[in-house]
Amino acid sequence: MTSSEPAESTEPAKPAPFAFGNRRAGKNARPGQGAPAASVDEFPSGDADYGVVGVPMEPGVQEVPVTVAPDTAVVPGFGTEPSAKPDLEPHASSRLRGVGGLVWLLLVASIAAVVMAYMSWHQADHDPDRQRAALRDEALIEGTADVETMTSMDHRHVAAGIKAWQSVSTGVLHDQLVSIDRDQEKMLADEGKIATGHVVQAALTDLTDSTATMIVAVEVTVRDDDQSKAPAVKRNRFSADLALVDGQWKIENLQQVAVNVS
Amino acid sequence: MISIASMLRRIATLRGAVAGASIALLVVTGVLLWQAHNLRNDPVLANRALLDKTAQENVTTAVSRGLTQVLSYDYQQPDATRAFADQVLSGQARSEYDTLFASLQQRAPGQKLTLAAEVRVSGVRELTRSRASLLVFIDQRSTRAKDKQTSVSAAQLSVTAERKGKAWVITGLKPL
Repeated sequence: MTSSEPAESTEPAKPAPFAFGNRRAGKNARPGQGAPAASVDEFPSGDADYGVVGVPMEPGVQEVPVTVAPDTAVVPGFGTEPSAKPDLEPHASSRLRGVGGLVWLLLVASIAAVVMAYMSWHQADHDPDRQRAALRDEALIEGTADVETMTSMDHRHVAAGIKAWQSVSTGVLHDQLVSIDRDQEKMLADEGKIATGHVVQAALTDLTDSTATMIVAVEVTVRDDDQSKAPAVKRNRFSADLALVDGQWKIENLQQVAVNVS
Repeated sequence: MISIASMLRRIATLRGAVAGASIALLVVTGVLLWQAHNLRNDPVLANRALLDKTAQENVTTAVSRGLTQVLSYDYQQPDATRAFADQVLSGQARSEYDTLFASLQQRAPGQKLTLAAEVRVSGVRELTRSRASLLVFIDQRSTRAKDKQTSVSAAQLSVTAERKGKAWVITGLKPL
């Protein structure tokens, strides 16, 4: 890694075959994004007022001398027929009430559970990290493909090659590529080379909601029509400014990272 | 009495409905929790690159400093570079380095060679608690004291780093 290999691999300051650069387009960034609350009601557990005996009496009632038999006593404030089946009825009804209370309790518990589960899901679904991670991976994958397109050109299909360049670029770079005229097209064709770019490795150095900066190590294989000659392989390093346009990452600027000679 | 019987029946029906609703809600709860669990364990989140700023800065700084140290060389103090290598390199990176260092030590004294490395830019490709992989662009300036010749070469390195305790150690080094 020291003196031998890299020295021959990337020549200082020599521009890549199809590198465009030295123009910096503007960047724009956007910042980005709460939770509900739940309330739980309390249910009275039915008890106290049901026993016929031992019902707390109001002060006024208490002064009345107790002359009636216990089982015929009318419980103040309660309208259920007390005389009819004094034994069975209160018993069955209180049992039912008890179970009924449990059912209501279950309902409240399930409502609370579903609210909590929803909040948990909502939080996970709107996790800014998850969205950013997905954006990062997309930018890297699409940016890599874009760079490979931008470093490839077949002299036999120049028009198609330029179309491909245009489709993966945006901003000033795109304008430049759109304005390629016949003479330049002819020049590319006359070079008689077939260049194929291959991204060896790429990494993002910066990411916002709509822009990214990517560094790439690219291997460009250049062939002549003459198949007998061994192809020339050039190793390059690039920095690419990417922009998210209509859901697709495109190259705004592609520049070789030249050595610092100063 | 009839009214009581019908009331009981009505209560029983209501009870059933409430219980049914509760069960339905619990099913929904289960589905939501399952979905939330899946979202939290999305593999895309395992890679903390560009998400965990502090960790990223730590590993970037450690790797940059380490590479600058081991890729700089002074023919007058070859042991300094070696000492740095002992600190920041291990595993494959260490053996790769030893190979290069051996050939360098053969040529360097004769040419009075000095190497100065500079990290131009680096990007983190993958980052977990204990492991990171980076792409690093390096400039290496070599100077021959004999004839004052200077040249700068560019290198692209694929670097793997592992956390040993609190420090990051470079375990993989591959020129691209």
